[in-house]
Amino acid sequence: MHTLTPHVQMAPAASSDNVFTFWPRHNEAIYKRLESKHAWLEEGHHDDEDDADPLENDMILNIGPQHPATHGVLRCAVKLDGELVERCVLDIGYLHRGIEKLAENKTYQEFMPYTDRMDYLAPYSNNVAWCLAVEKLANIEVPERAQWIRTMMCELARISSHLIWMGVGLMDAGAVSVFLWTFEHRENLYKIFDEVAGARFTVSHSRIGGLSTDLTPTALRLIDEFATDFPAVVHGWQKLLNRNRIWIERNEGIGVLTAEEVVEMGLTGPMLRGSGVPYDMRRFEPYLKYEDVDFNIPIRTEGDCLARYFVRMEEMLESVKIIRQCLDRLPDGPIRTDDAKKSYPSKNEVYYSMEGMIHDFVYTFEGITPPKGAHSYHAVEAPKGELGFYITSDGTGHPWRVRMKAPSFANLQGLEYMLEGSVIGDMVVLIGNIDPVMGESDK
Amino acid sequence: MKETLKFEFTAADPVAYAKSENPHAKASTNVGDTIDALEAAFGEVVTGRETYAGEHTVFVEKDRIVDVLRHLKTELGYTYLADLGGLDRFTEDDRFEVFYNIVNMQEGKRLRVKIRVDEDDMSVPSITTVHRGATWNEREAYDMLGFDFDGHPDLRRMYLPEDFEYFPQRKEFPLLGVPGSLPLPPRRPEDGLTLDPYAAAHDGPTPKSYQEPLSPDYADDHHDH
Repeated sequence: MHTLTPHVQMAPAASSDNVFTFWPRHNEAIYKRLESKHAWLEEGHHDDEDDADPLENDMILNIGPQHPATHGVLRCAVKLDGELVERCVLDIGYLHRGIEKLAENKTYQEFMPYTDRMDYLAPYSNNVAWCLAVEKLANIEVPERAQWIRTMMCELARISSHLIWMGVGLMDAGAVSVFLWTFEHRENLYKIFDEVAGARFTVSHSRIGGLSTDLTPTALRLIDEFATDFPAVVHGWQKLLNRNRIWIERNEGIGVLTAEEVVEMGLTGPMLRGSGVPYDMRRFEPYLKYEDVDFNIPIRTEGDCLARYFVRMEEMLESVKIIRQCLDRLPDGPIRTDDAKKSYPSKNEVYYSMEGMIHDFVYTFEGITPPKGAHSYHAVEAPKGELGFYITSDGTGHPWRVRMKAPSFANLQGLEYMLEGSVIGDMVVLIGNIDPVMGESDK
Repeated sequence: MKETLKFEFTAADPVAYAKSENPHAKASTNVGDTIDALEAAFGEVVTGRETYAGEHTVFVEKDRIVDVLRHLKTELGYTYLADLGGLDRFTEDDRFEVFYNIVNMQEGKRLRVKIRVDEDDMSVPSITTVHRGATWNEREAYDMLGFDFDGHPDLRRMYLPEDFEYFPQRKEFPLLGVPGSLPLPPRRPEDGLTLDPYAAAHDGPTPKSYQEPLSPDYADDHHDH
């Protein structure tokens, strides 16, 4: 029954003898979807009877996967009539690493560093999303201090991700200097992550049941300095951009989506909130300490690129508000739950006691074992939207199935819809505005 | 039937789990009343329900999933499809599962609907007529597990190229993949695609790009050893 035989049997593609055509059936399927005779001409499919475009106005353009404006390895195959995009087919999967399959072969704690590589612009959010999902599945409580620190670091990750969105988005629209300004502040954030976790980019700081290390006084000082200085910087950018004629004309009325459309297409995050749908996991299903802090969820109703720009800018300021409250209210106490069946023991215990060493060893190669048949879903509000993990357990230390609800994947589906009918010059603005991260959408 | 363990591990105590309250349980997933309403409307179509960590899952019959989701959308307010995916249970009967994670934004509710799919009949009714956002998710489920979504407007593979012949998230698919299942780029510009993933081991180191343009006797210099 379970033998490994090819499941899909297809007729050989017409151009399979062409050594320069990589994956001939794949490209043929994309061009067929574009319904373009010209692409089919190359493939030898031209049918003289069905000539709907005798003047040859249509043009096929393949943008990406190696194009800087696609923010990664996104390939857009578009059919153009002049400047107008008649039809668009997105081809993703160039960064597919089979991360869901990998998760089935790791222990729960072992998989956590892989989540850094999903949305690599906000790795801390992914770590926390994964740890919370496992903690829900295995019924593990997290100490207060760890929850406050996680909340604070997630908001720093949100700012870090939005800074990239803003810098790169403006660079796509022609303003290179903003890219350099945002990187100045990303550097400050990297310094904080370096001090907190020991790594600048792929932090892997969160652990199941808490955190790996506590914050040092230096880290607290750096966060405090950042939270003090950053609002003035954002206000400066707002002064530059909010009434900037070039920026407004590139964004206003571009990629308009109504509230019904975004819900229908399952978009998440700022894409929803820019169209007036108040859906934010921090309010919808409060996790960590979001119930206890005071903040607003920015909403706009216009549904165009400019609305989503305003939403993200205001979100950065709200994040600073949350960080400030976390700093003020950070309680003392342990940073990891003190139960060796559920979380790693502290390093002191591991180095100086036999039980600690055994616990560390057992937790590393076996880890937590949620009950057989348990399955649960936990979502957080990542910078790009709802990031959730649906984990099914078979009672062993490895998950049976991990399903990731990746916000970039959901949002890219909306891009296909938004591009059809827009002009090609708006394409880079739209991609930048959606803010996709291919590491996440390609899994 | 008593299960035999193939490896050693500390099994969690299901009784202790059931008794203790989950600190991460959300109020939004407590949707027993929705499932009651669904049972009242559909009767036998609802084949079961499960609760874990305060989350409700309802099992329905495969053939009626479109009706159930349309009823949930129009009558009960579950307008937003958060996620859709497949699962390989690796059992003899009803091997696969498809789950639908749907959200009622107005009332703040989240429900999981599941259907079971047998390996011999992989057809699943497509819900793209109800939730348009399911298009890519269904393509992904087809790509990874091989469901045959009836009525899907564009059932192509999502991530992998069409030339790939396996469904990688099925449990029998090896983690390291199947060597030779996809053509790989040539190691020299003038060569054709290769099916050998170990080409570097079989015919020597990859030539450096600065050796271009290649001399006609290049092959003689590099291959006859």
